[in-house]
Amino acid sequence: MATLKLTNLVKHFDDVVAVDHIDLEVADGEFVTLLGPSGCGKTTTLRTIAGFYYPDEGEVYFGDRIMNNIPPNKRDTAMCFQSYALFPHMSVWDNISFGLKMRKMPASEQKIKIERVMEMLSLSELGKRKPGQLSGGQQQRVALARSIVTEPEVLLFDEPLSNLDAKLRVQVRVEIREMQKRLGITAIYVTHDQDEALAISDRIVIMEQGRIEQIGDPYTIYRHPETQFVAGFIGLANIFDGVVLEVEGTRCTVQAPFGNVLINAEGQEVPHKGATIHFSWRPEDMKIRDRTSKNQITGNVLQAVFMGDITDLFIEVNGYKMRAQSDDEAKIVAGDSVSFGIAEHAFSILRE
Amino acid sequence: MKKKDKMTPFIILMLIPGVGFIVFFIGSSISITVLQSLGFFNMMGESGFTLGYWKSILSSREAIDSLLFSLRMGILSSVGTVLVAFPLALFFRKSGPAKGMLGSIIKVPLFIPALVAAFLILNLISYHGLINTTLMRLNIIDEPLRMLNDSFGWGVITIQIWKNLPFVLLILMSAISSIRDDTIDAARNLGAGYWSVLFRIYIPLAMPGILVAMILMFIKAFGDFPITSVAGPVYPSSVANRMQIMANLYQEWNQAAVLGVIIIITTFFVIWAYSRFAELVQGGA
Repeated sequence: MATLKLTNLVKHFDDVVAVDHIDLEVADGEFVTLLGPSGCGKTTTLRTIAGFYYPDEGEVYFGDRIMNNIPPNKRDTAMCFQSYALFPHMSVWDNISFGLKMRKMPASEQKIKIERVMEMLSLSELGKRKPGQLSGGQQQRVALARSIVTEPEVLLFDEPLSNLDAKLRVQVRVEIREMQKRLGITAIYVTHDQDEALAISDRIVIMEQGRIEQIGDPYTIYRHPETQFVAGFIGLANIFDGVVLEVEGTRCTVQAPFGNVLINAEGQEVPHKGATIHFSWRPEDMKIRDRTSKNQITGNVLQAVFMGDITDLFIEVNGYKMRAQSDDEAKIVAGDSVSFGIAEHAFSILRE
Repeated sequence: MKKKDKMTPFIILMLIPGVGFIVFFIGSSISITVLQSLGFFNMMGESGFTLGYWKSILSSREAIDSLLFSLRMGILSSVGTVLVAFPLALFFRKSGPAKGMLGSIIKVPLFIPALVAAFLILNLISYHGLINTTLMRLNIIDEPLRMLNDSFGWGVITIQIWKNLPFVLLILMSAISSIRDDTIDAARNLGAGYWSVLFRIYIPLAMPGILVAMILMFIKAFGDFPITSVAGPVYPSSVANRMQIMANLYQEWNQAAVLGVIIIITTFFVIWAYSRFAELVQGGA
């Protein structure tokens, strides 16, 4: 178990900057997810922590030890690969024991640990099978068993669930989280799936083009995105520009293209009067027929998609398109004129 | 249910050249050789069943020495070639700037006939060849080393490795290229150093390719004629050389046939042993 620290980390591949000056501190036992679109540098960061790449600039610390030039086999990390990367010529038992053998652990001690891990992950019956004889979910559990059996300082996950079907994915991610909590191992998890990131993490690191856009717990990341990229990447968002007309404490009146809105920037950086700002709000913050909220908007429904629990609405307000999600029981169809209320706290003010 | 293909006259017509060739030339020539070794199809004199030719070969000192020599050449050439080729195959796993050029040079022997190859190497390792001359000039040795026509067969093995390296390399490279990078990364991540990765991951996973390469190399070197003629010891000769001597020099066609059958049987036995061993290695996977 250890803390993990990346300072000013840079990694190039020829002319391409894959990781661009990243700083990150991960507490002992914390579960941190690197989330971003493909090519954002999240996997490169993970592989640099594992030691498959050495950083071009900056440092990787495990605790207070600099790990920059330590080869992967000398680092106490364990990685779960997207492809599982099980050893096809070895039985499940031999796969799980591999890391212990490399650490020259006596066979009797190995046996105790392997049996315990196999039981934890309900693999006890499968010890003699070869990976090729297992289902995708079973292979995933063997990969997990193989990485936790060595009790590493840092657990690394490289999109470990992307080859599983949707139902299994939810089940295994709960298992991974419970396992990590029980063992208290520091974990870094890479994914491009925002639902997975929100569900599993203590903190989420949003990455884009090799840089960190925002670090925060799932609630903060979702409720208060700091940049346009984060607002657009996590969940759905209505994003507009506006000019600040008046500031009263944390409350700002903003002139937006579709009309004026009142934004309460409590807990955020309050903009100056006269500044041009970007701001966003979530479709579910548009409360249908809500007369009490400060912001009242009326729009025409362009398209209404009934999804069961909610109705997805594409609406037009004074010539501008925005999106709303209604859980109102009344049926809404295209062509309806609908009024919405948006709470003054629902808005996030965004950086470029 | 899949419909069974019907043998139409057209299909039969199309198959006649291929199947006919196999049945007529390969089948008949092997059976004639086998029958000749048992006294039938005699070139001269009476034909009739006899084990006499087998007895005289198996009791002949020269024939047994030839057999042992050929077995030794087969085994050592195949082990030697794989030992040289495997590290190269690992090296060529990832393409690099200088590797394309090196890869082309190393394939040259593939296109040179064995007999020509033997003569090429001759210049290097003969009594007054390049290596001996250089070593003498540098005062490292006083007397030229005997690397050619040596009684053990090192000259033959050297030329076999030189000639067959690219061929074995191709087999091993395709075996190694099927090993995923993730598998190697996983092993290193779990604490395996270079030697552990080599012996626990690369070699076991490349084993089917290694076995195929060794079998094919053995068969080539065991049945070799040209390289042993040029670089082999004065005595004993290889089985194939012995066969030629029996047939052409002594006109003992039946005994030559016995030697031919011995080569064929040995080859089949090695292939059978391979398939049994491959089953063991593959296990249940």
